[in-house]
Amino acid sequence: MNVHAKNPSNDDDMEYLSDVLKDVNLAKGLPNRHYVDPATFEIEKKHVLFANWSGIGFGKDIPEHGDANPIDFLGMPLVAVRDKDGSINVFQNTCRHRGMTLVQEKGKLRGTFRCPYHSWCYGLDGRLVTTPHVGGPGHNTHEDIKRDELGLIKIRSYVWRDVIFVNVSGDAPEFEVYAAEALERWKEYEQPFAHGGQVSSFKLAVKTNWKLAVENFCESYHLPWVHPGLNSYSRLEDHYHIEEKGKFSGQGTLVYKQLRGSDGQVFPDFENLSRQWDEGAEYITLYPNVLLGVQRDHCFAIVLEPKSIDETLEHIELYYTPKGASATDYEAMRNKNAELWKTVFEEDVFVVEGMQKGRKGEYFDGGKFSPAMDGPTHMFHHWVATQIEKGQKVDT
Amino acid sequence: MADRGLEDLLAVLESDMLLAYDRADSDALVRLYKRAAILKEQAGDIDAACFYFTHAYVFALEAGNAESEPLLGKLVQYGRDAYPANR
Repeated sequence: MNVHAKNPSNDDDMEYLSDVLKDVNLAKGLPNRHYVDPATFEIEKKHVLFANWSGIGFGKDIPEHGDANPIDFLGMPLVAVRDKDGSINVFQNTCRHRGMTLVQEKGKLRGTFRCPYHSWCYGLDGRLVTTPHVGGPGHNTHEDIKRDELGLIKIRSYVWRDVIFVNVSGDAPEFEVYAAEALERWKEYEQPFAHGGQVSSFKLAVKTNWKLAVENFCESYHLPWVHPGLNSYSRLEDHYHIEEKGKFSGQGTLVYKQLRGSDGQVFPDFENLSRQWDEGAEYITLYPNVLLGVQRDHCFAIVLEPKSIDETLEHIELYYTPKGASATDYEAMRNKNAELWKTVFEEDVFVVEGMQKGRKGEYFDGGKFSPAMDGPTHMFHHWVATQIEKGQKVDT
Repeated sequence: MADRGLEDLLAVLESDMLLAYDRADSDALVRLYKRAAILKEQAGDIDAACFYFTHAYVFALEAGNAESEPLLGKLVQYGRDAYPANR
């Protein structure tokens, strides 16, 4: 062992990210502190996850008017609610009066939010509707309680591919601008799709930093080693990189094979797809924490919920055409497809957990990328480093 | 004696309210608080009536109960609440 190697975790130089920002052939990966240091986790929370459009949940969990789902996003209490017109609003789940949590558990609001403490009521649009006894018993107004200034704090949100994205800081570009290239790339998939039901929804609790799940998802380099079953029909050379600098990265395959049922049936295809998708499929991470996949007959969305510096909860949801999602003819296939994906994602667990443990190595320097194979992973590191530098400049 | 009768009625209503709270039955709470409010209103005790009207109104709002509109009307009539600006 080279005991004279520099210990990168002791490097407090503000320029410590400069190696990450080099071109992939010269770059190093993000240093250990981004995986093991709680203080750096807090910096990432602010400058990476709150400053951009992060996924926090799914529209399918609140399908009807009044459905409300409280979500703890990195300690911040939020609540997503379906309004009368079908739109989804996200609010800080905190009463403007005494800071009480408004919605304690998932459920249906028949009318308004009612704070369980002093019963201040808010409409599903966040408007403060009444303030009981605020001017004394039986007096519900007071000249100093200005209801139009005391609505729930609305968090910027946007729903794409059923994922509820939020920008907590409130100053990221509009989502349509932020994700413009992804929206354009997959515009053929802007058509009706539906969740495959309970079997198509699963979670994986992984002892790893959230970024390692992104990094593993972005690259195809590991496929023949970690997913030999997958690559019996999808070889390494059948994959290509997807790299949109500063936006998203991932991988595509040229040999997607549809799942077949016991009598040879396949799921119905999404409509009017171009020939590219006959055997093509793509998998991207829309930075920071949403993993997406599209295939001709089904798609998926994964929200990575960072629970702590070294714990991540992966929320995985599978979708089909409306017919593929609901017809009983496809039930057995939906079960099998969910099982297949679950196997693939579970095969990745030892890798992302192993990389997390590896980052306790005092002399690990962020790692050396393969210029040929690790481009999408480096692109993500580069983006994270850019967000940190940008945020620190604003802070100073 | 009339007051005694009123208090007895209110005691029954309040007992029913506790049962409704236990069941988290917002619609029953609307009905019971409204009845209590009307009794107090008829007795000329507007402060107490508005206390009960307020509770009926809050539970009607929470439950999406159509009673919320007339209850708000009562409270506004007595100067105890306000219509929303964009109504």
